[in-house]
Amino acid sequence: MSEITLHDLEKQYGETTAVEDVSVEIRDGELLCLLGPSGSGKSTTLRMIAGLETPTSGTISIEADDVTDQPAYERNTSTVFQDWALFPHKSVLENVAFGLKMRGMSKDERHTRARSMLERVQMGGYGDDDPTNLSGGQKQRVALARSLAVNPDVLLLDEPLSNLDKRLREDMQIELREIHEDLEETFVHVTHDQDEAFTLADRIGIMNEGELVQVGDPDEVYENPKNRFIEAFLGDTNFVDAVVTRTSSDAVHVDTELGTELVLPTDAEPAVDEGTGLTLSLRPEILSIDGETGRHEPAGKQAVATDGSAHNAVTGTVENVIYRGSTVRYSVSINGSSMFAERTDASTGAHAAGDDIRLEWDGEDVLAFSDDGTRVTL
Amino acid sequence: MTSTLHRETVENRVFRASYLALLVFMLLPLFVVVVTSFSQAGRLAFPPESYSLVWYGEFFESTRWLRAFTNSIIIGVGTALLASFLGVTGAFGQELDTDDSLGAILQPLVLIPLLIPPVVLGITLLMYFSEVGLRGSYASIILAHTLWATPLVYFVMRSVFSRFDWQQLDAAHDLGAGPVRSFVHVVLPNVKHGILVGALLAFIISLQEFVMALFLSTPSTTTIPVLAWTQIRQALDPMVSVVSTFLILISIGAIVLAAIATNLEWLSKQLS
Repeated sequence: MSEITLHDLEKQYGETTAVEDVSVEIRDGELLCLLGPSGSGKSTTLRMIAGLETPTSGTISIEADDVTDQPAYERNTSTVFQDWALFPHKSVLENVAFGLKMRGMSKDERHTRARSMLERVQMGGYGDDDPTNLSGGQKQRVALARSLAVNPDVLLLDEPLSNLDKRLREDMQIELREIHEDLEETFVHVTHDQDEAFTLADRIGIMNEGELVQVGDPDEVYENPKNRFIEAFLGDTNFVDAVVTRTSSDAVHVDTELGTELVLPTDAEPAVDEGTGLTLSLRPEILSIDGETGRHEPAGKQAVATDGSAHNAVTGTVENVIYRGSTVRYSVSINGSSMFAERTDASTGAHAAGDDIRLEWDGEDVLAFSDDGTRVTL
Repeated sequence: MTSTLHRETVENRVFRASYLALLVFMLLPLFVVVVTSFSQAGRLAFPPESYSLVWYGEFFESTRWLRAFTNSIIIGVGTALLASFLGVTGAFGQELDTDDSLGAILQPLVLIPLLIPPVVLGITLLMYFSEVGLRGSYASIILAHTLWATPLVYFVMRSVFSRFDWQQLDAAHDLGAGPVRSFVHVVLPNVKHGILVGALLAFIISLQEFVMALFLSTPSTTTIPVLAWTQIRQALDPMVSVVSTFLILISIGAIVLAAIATNLEWLSKQLS
């Protein structure tokens, strides 16, 4: 059981910086997901923990031992690779037993352990098979068994599910989660898929352009994103440009591109000045659709509560309706700008293109970001 | 009978006919050599007046020829081993080198011996080996032939390694295999056919190389091509054809072996 500390980790390839200033403490037994778009440095960070890449500067310690200069084969970490990297010339059983063979375990012992690991990942009957004949999901299981067989201090997963189809990927996420709970080992999982990160992670570390932007519990990073990038990356949202027109002791009034003035309640004296440009984020789940009232008012007309309460609303025209299985997404035109809202129950209050609808939300749920993308706490 | 032939059909036929003619033209001398080796007369003539295995008998009774034959095999095997070691490690090292600075030096360096005329190489090496006391040794000819064979092994291995899935090496390291064990257990099984092909190429190069061997060999290290040349200068008898036939057979055998090895690799890929 271990705790990993990355301190000021940096990796450069010639002129390009792949990873910059990454510092994080990975807790004993947790499942940390490194989440980020491709090229954000998450895989490079993982490979540095594995010892497959040498950091340009910074240190890595596992269980308080500085392992920065230790080669991969001396570290007790184990990686499940994106393409699984099974040895094609070895049988499935030999693949799983390979790490144990390298650790000098006798043939009987390692084969017994390899068999039990294959059982663990429900591949018990495939020991004698050629790994090249297996399906993607099966290869993924064998790769997992091979990595777990050596009983690593930390299991590193480099997007091992990204080559599987959606259904299988979701099943494997649950299974991986169960294996993690079972083993109580430290897992570091790299993915570009937000849903996967939220399904698996105890904590999520979000990377962008080589930097670790924010680390936190899933609900924390989702509800309290540090910057605009994270807000945009973690889910679909409506960004609305706004300018502060007036501040009061408990609210900020902004003029928006929607053509309406919105009121954002604050807990204390607002920290923004009049004239400051902001980007507001209105996630679809905070928007409630009220078609009944909306239908009687002309599109774009201001419909904001002016009493300073947290209640905000706009009215617009439905441009198109997209059925997305469990949800229905409305694209709504408001004063020339476009927003989208979602309704989870497709049968109630159905709207068609051309209908006027009213979107309402609680001003407290709106997140604001400054022009440089950093979060503005109102 | 008039039939209009399509342009494409005509082109195809002309191409095939020319190709066949070229092949016949190139293989005819080999055919002549093999046929004359079965001659009974002591004079090299085609076609022979009568056929027998008398010159094959002569060959196996001639200590000079058997000695040259053994020398050629020793030097060929030595060259194959040394050139394979250098070519494989060079190509492997270049693959591991992430910023490719090694390749910038290695690639032209490896090619240089192929660009120097063998006469120049032969004379230079003769002087050099005399200086360091290697003159007249097997090692001197093996080293000379290695200069020629290594580039070929190297380029064969470059192409073999380019098809290797390098993530496997990462996986081997990750599972605790150090540099040597990961090479032996993971890289080698994947590229062994390529190495065999390279080694056979090196062996054939060495077996037929004449110019450098002429400069560097002494009576005790004479190779088959060198002895054949000295013999031809004295008498043109069918013994040369017998020896040539053996060389041709060995080369064909090596090529067939290499083809089987590459096809096995291809076959295993097809099955997967």
